[in-house]
Amino acid sequence: MSRWTYFAKRLVLSIPVIIFGTSLTFFIIYAGPIDPVTSILGMGATSEQIQNLEQQLGLNQPLWEQYFQYMVDMFTFSLGESWVIRPDVAANEVILSYAPRTVLMGALAVILPLFVGIPLGFYAGLRPNTLGDYTASFTGIVWRAMPNFWLAVIMLMVLSSSEYWLFGFNWETWIVSTNVAGTPEMDNLLQPLNFIAAVKVVLPGALVLGSASMGNEMRIGRTAFLEAKNSNYVEMARAKGVPGRSIVWKHIFRNALIPLIPVITAEAGVLVGGSVLIESVFGINGIGWLFFNAMARGDLPLAVAMMYLIILLIVGLNILQDFLYTIVDPRVGFEGE
Amino acid sequence: MSMTENKNDSIVERVKENPGPAARWGAVMAFLLLLEFGAIWGGIMSIPWDVPVKGLADVLPAAIGGVVTGIGSVFADVGNAFAEVPTLLERQWIPNRGYHVPGEGWQGTFLGLEPAYAWLIRLTLVYVYAAVTAYWAWRGYMTFRRHYRYADWTPADDMIDRFRSHNWGRFGLIIVAAFLVMALFAPAVSPTTESQNMTNPYDTENSMVKYYNENAGEVQEVTAGSANLASKSRGDRQNFGLWTYDKYDRFHPFGTLTTGKDLFTFMAFGGRISLFIGLFASALAGGIALSLALLTSYYKGLVDLATVLTSDAFSAMPRLLVLIMLVTVLQEHWISDIYSGAFLLAFLFGIWGWMGLWRAIRGPSFQIVENEWVTAAKGFGDRPWSIVKKHVAPYVIGYLLIYLSMSLGGYIIGAAGLSYLGLGVTAPTPELGRAIAGGQDLITTKSWHISVLPGVMITLLVLGFNALGDGIRDAIDPQSSSGDSSGEAAAAGGGA
Repeated sequence: MSRWTYFAKRLVLSIPVIIFGTSLTFFIIYAGPIDPVTSILGMGATSEQIQNLEQQLGLNQPLWEQYFQYMVDMFTFSLGESWVIRPDVAANEVILSYAPRTVLMGALAVILPLFVGIPLGFYAGLRPNTLGDYTASFTGIVWRAMPNFWLAVIMLMVLSSSEYWLFGFNWETWIVSTNVAGTPEMDNLLQPLNFIAAVKVVLPGALVLGSASMGNEMRIGRTAFLEAKNSNYVEMARAKGVPGRSIVWKHIFRNALIPLIPVITAEAGVLVGGSVLIESVFGINGIGWLFFNAMARGDLPLAVAMMYLIILLIVGLNILQDFLYTIVDPRVGFEGE
Repeated sequence: MSMTENKNDSIVERVKENPGPAARWGAVMAFLLLLEFGAIWGGIMSIPWDVPVKGLADVLPAAIGGVVTGIGSVFADVGNAFAEVPTLLERQWIPNRGYHVPGEGWQGTFLGLEPAYAWLIRLTLVYVYAAVTAYWAWRGYMTFRRHYRYADWTPADDMIDRFRSHNWGRFGLIIVAAFLVMALFAPAVSPTTESQNMTNPYDTENSMVKYYNENAGEVQEVTAGSANLASKSRGDRQNFGLWTYDKYDRFHPFGTLTTGKDLFTFMAFGGRISLFIGLFASALAGGIALSLALLTSYYKGLVDLATVLTSDAFSAMPRLLVLIMLVTVLQEHWISDIYSGAFLLAFLFGIWGWMGLWRAIRGPSFQIVENEWVTAAKGFGDRPWSIVKKHVAPYVIGYLLIYLSMSLGGYIIGAAGLSYLGLGVTAPTPELGRAIAGGQDLITTKSWHISVLPGVMITLLVLGFNALGDGIRDAIDPQSSSGDSSGEAAAAGGGA
């Protein structure tokens, strides 16, 4: 099986995955014990109102017909309208208005650990069993064990009285004056000052969100680096007299990257799930906040639409991961059967 | 060692041949367990037996159903009677609740000691008892190994020896054991009772607090609920922090909550819930992952492909979001009432937890199936089920344990995260996440302990389980690297 056949196979297999996830969402939401009509009308609705609404929403049709309609709607991206949070506004419009903050935070949460976790891990792997290695490893392990939302609470405390904790450093007035918690202003991001302000507001959240993956990347980076360093081809290269710098970058680095790929892509699920908690700690109203509120207030079409988009996002990232594998690791497709 | 005569003897027959060591060990163990007989029964009785009994009675015709509930209630009465048997570690032997009368010292506490010391003595006694029992259980294994096992050496011996010299793993084991003891003995280690602190603080029978009223100059009684109102930690204005007494002479080792309840009691009982969720979810997820790994490694091909697809589909829905969705949807359902919603959480964590585990053990189980002994067993005509049970599963379980230990922390963090959002385990049943949420606004004040201590406890617990997992891995497979990415992903907390 060639590499590209392998990739094509993975691509085809993602279709049933999407269908399964979307169907499961439908059955949890619409076939479960929750009653959408009362969540819109409240408890004091008359039976006539209820019937009208059921007619309007198509809830009086048999379940399988609703299901069929729903699947067609989802795959044609007509995601329905919000019921409660912003009544009668298209779901995708609502999601789009909340998305930028989470996207900004998520992007930072992916990028920061890449530039901190991996170098630290490689540093530790290059000098195994030194004090620096132990410090880095131990910090990573403890960091990983801390609940993200608790870390966020602690961070909020440290930053809101930063002069006391950080030796007179004032976070709130640093570079631009912002609040520690709250929703970032997302208008006019092209202006550098606005952009910096927005980044600064989401930065603590991104740091916390990325912290778990930072610990993972560090640990895995360390072992991957160690393993590659002690492998036969590196010894061979050394015996040939290849200079140290070239060994590190050409032979060790590239091979050590392979086990890191799934860690980086697996972050997506962590980011999306974690954003609910982090956004509620820092008071950022982004996607996670929206999902939690849509569920809590019974805005079912909005929640379903978000779940569908998230499934698409994660499946897309899995495909990206396979694509990266196919490029970076020539052995893909030859392993196993 | 002398067990060479007949290797097919069962363990019972081997014990009969040489009963001495087993009898000596058994006698001490029975004595140790007898000390806590009542508590063990109390534990058995605290399982919500009425749920299955009621369910059964509802399904059956009325007459038989009535009989079933009747029998059930008889068993419940007997069990409750056993549970009433006093135990060594009960709070009534070493009471830490008392009141201070000026000039006369402490009244009602153990030996008239200050409540703090009485509580410390009880806490120490609990841990000593647990340590002795654990050591004796270990002695039991050694007795078995020396006198009753026909093999002089098994691979497991090497693993255990490797684990014993693994400091990081032992550190994890000690932390985990300490928390397990705290959860198991929560009623004994906590400075106040569950009924006073959580379930019915205004009960005039069990929740009365005696104290010395200075104004009146006499000893008076008040319900724990009203006493709690006067011992709230509310930041800089009024705070009952670490190692303090409140106005009713009640001792709070970790301070009080914003509701005036004792934080240590809250955390001990909250730790119970967390560990229950973690262990139950791990058992469920591990069971699913193990059966699927055995199935896929034995049959390969289409079964494997189907499982890959299912696992991809499940992991395409982020666990935390699905849990938020399902817990909200099922809020009114009866399943949310079992164990205050902890059962539902544990169940859902289990259902959404097997994918990473399965991916992590899939590789090793594929390798194990390739071994000659499996081919030989196939050649013998063994049934697939008995082949995988005897020749594959014992090796796979070792790998599974590593990742289970690491993912357990993720479940505990996830459950705490959900209760931080107000979902999952419902009040008044304690959950660590709720304490963090409650004390969040006070964290910059003197009442910082409310949010910080539960978080530290979760961190330690998760750290302990991770270290235990590391230790098990190095014990099982010293050559393996810790850089297994799928395993690490399995161990991640799902972002909570």
